[in-house]
Amino acid sequence: MRVVKKVGGRRLSRQERQAYLILLPAVGIVFVIVTIPFVLVVMQSFSADDGSWVGFRNFSRALGNPLLYDAIRATGVYTLIVLPIEILVGLGFALLVHRTVRRPGLRAAIYVLAILPLVVPPVAIGVVARLIYAPSYGVLNVILERLGLIHQEIDWLGTPTLAMLSVASVDVWQWTPFVYLVLFSGLQTVPRESVEAAQIDGVTWWTQFLYIDLFYLRPLFLLILFFRLADVLRVFDHIFILTGGGPGTSTQLLSLYMYRVEFKFFDMGQAAALAVVVLVSFSVIYTLISRFLPLERA
Amino acid sequence: MRRRRSAAGLVRIAIASVGIGAAGLIYGFPLYWLVVTSLKSKGELFASSVHLLPHNPTLAAYSSVLIDRGFLVLLKNSVIVCISTVLVTLAFGLVITYPITRLQVPVALRVNILTWALSLRFLPPIAVVIPYFAIVRTLQIYDQPIALIGIYSLFNLPFAIWMLKGFLAEIPLELEEAAMVDGANRWTAFRLVLLPLAVPGIMAAGIIVFTFAWSEFLFALILTATPNSQTFPVGVQGLVTQFEIIWNDMAAAGVIAMALPLILMVIGRRYIVAGLTFGVIREK
Repeated sequence: MRVVKKVGGRRLSRQERQAYLILLPAVGIVFVIVTIPFVLVVMQSFSADDGSWVGFRNFSRALGNPLLYDAIRATGVYTLIVLPIEILVGLGFALLVHRTVRRPGLRAAIYVLAILPLVVPPVAIGVVARLIYAPSYGVLNVILERLGLIHQEIDWLGTPTLAMLSVASVDVWQWTPFVYLVLFSGLQTVPRESVEAAQIDGVTWWTQFLYIDLFYLRPLFLLILFFRLADVLRVFDHIFILTGGGPGTSTQLLSLYMYRVEFKFFDMGQAAALAVVVLVSFSVIYTLISRFLPLERA
Repeated sequence: MRRRRSAAGLVRIAIASVGIGAAGLIYGFPLYWLVVTSLKSKGELFASSVHLLPHNPTLAAYSSVLIDRGFLVLLKNSVIVCISTVLVTLAFGLVITYPITRLQVPVALRVNILTWALSLRFLPPIAVVIPYFAIVRTLQIYDQPIALIGIYSLFNLPFAIWMLKGFLAEIPLELEEAAMVDGANRWTAFRLVLLPLAVPGIMAAGIIVFTFAWSEFLFALILTATPNSQTFPVGVQGLVTQFEIIWNDMAAAGVIAMALPLILMVIGRRYIVAGLTFGVIREK
């Protein structure tokens, strides 16, 4: 392949020119489509509904609204419930299957079953959760009553703490298999020699986990954190179906709150200011995490 | 020695059975209950006690949802939107990944494009839909499938780019070069040599994108208003938030919403994790 010699600045090779020729229109279109909303939302955030300039008034209203901090707190609580449970249970299950299930057929069956929850529409899972937790018809109360564990209906969706746990349980149900799948395939990459060497030395399974398995899994935890965080910060569907953010604002996570400001209160200015704040803070979070990801970019 | 090993083996089997059994119950029962509820008759909903086992199963709820409530139209909208999204996403995905995997370009260009695609994955939909809603109103495409197709393609592009990049990179460059030595130009080489080889990968990416678009709810809720463009998940939601919930209809709608992705995943099962993790996790 003949590369044109550098003369002065760097000249492009034929292939590079071709590459840019193909890339520019496509990337350009996507870039414009992504950028127009950004520009627009920044403009909206500095204007009133009639388009007149209001300076930072939308921002001060958005940031001065106590409901925003309720939403941030709810998002934080949700994240802190969901991520540790998903990671611990997913890890536990990955270790369990890795160490105890030897038969390839059974492993393959578990694999197929584990991917199914990942592709079920969150709206449909919301429906399932509704059938389970709903007052008066929810099957969870029916089962608990028949087993004699409770004598009075529990209002799963009507009390703040239980409602938060209920919506979190849906997330755990859907996404623990994802953590399992990632960590399980991570465990496959642990070299057999080091495990055998350790076993000859007579280490306990815990030591083996702590010093061998965990070493190979470490980059994957970051990966899981990244993708789960991206999803948890945008979670909307199943909560909208299950509680709609209630009771009160107890399960009103950030996306539900922003949806309400824009499409229920029709406060465009405040919603735009919120969107700008969220976009900026998400970019910061993204920049902090993404550079450590074990992705094959080159 | 042999007896001790078999005892340890028994413990192993016991632990595994308990774990897998518990998981099976937690995952199996809700789905079982969804299906059982969808098979109930209207009369049974108001019965004083709840039957855990199917009792005179009937498909009445399905015909009620699809025909009486007219959800067949929503199903059709969903299929149109999803297929169009797949086509647009794959076209853009191929145009963007072809040069960075098949042509000699600086590493920095490739890294920048992939990083940029990854950053789109972190974009919060609700923050984007607020200005996008205004754009859609201005362009007068509110409540039209095209508004959904555009935004779905944008949000699925990161998955498509990363998946296609992985698949294309695995096809040896020499095959196209050989065709070009034989006198084919780049476009012919792409069309007749690379494309046929890349079909399984393109299909996989298409299935993943289809599934994601099928599940999407927030954009559809905001950008559609009538059966003209409403997708199936919006219809399902309409059944849920009504004042009086018709449980069997709601459950039947839930089953229908789940069916297609589950069927597709039987075909695309080897690729879903690769897709979700941007190729970090590859199925053996």
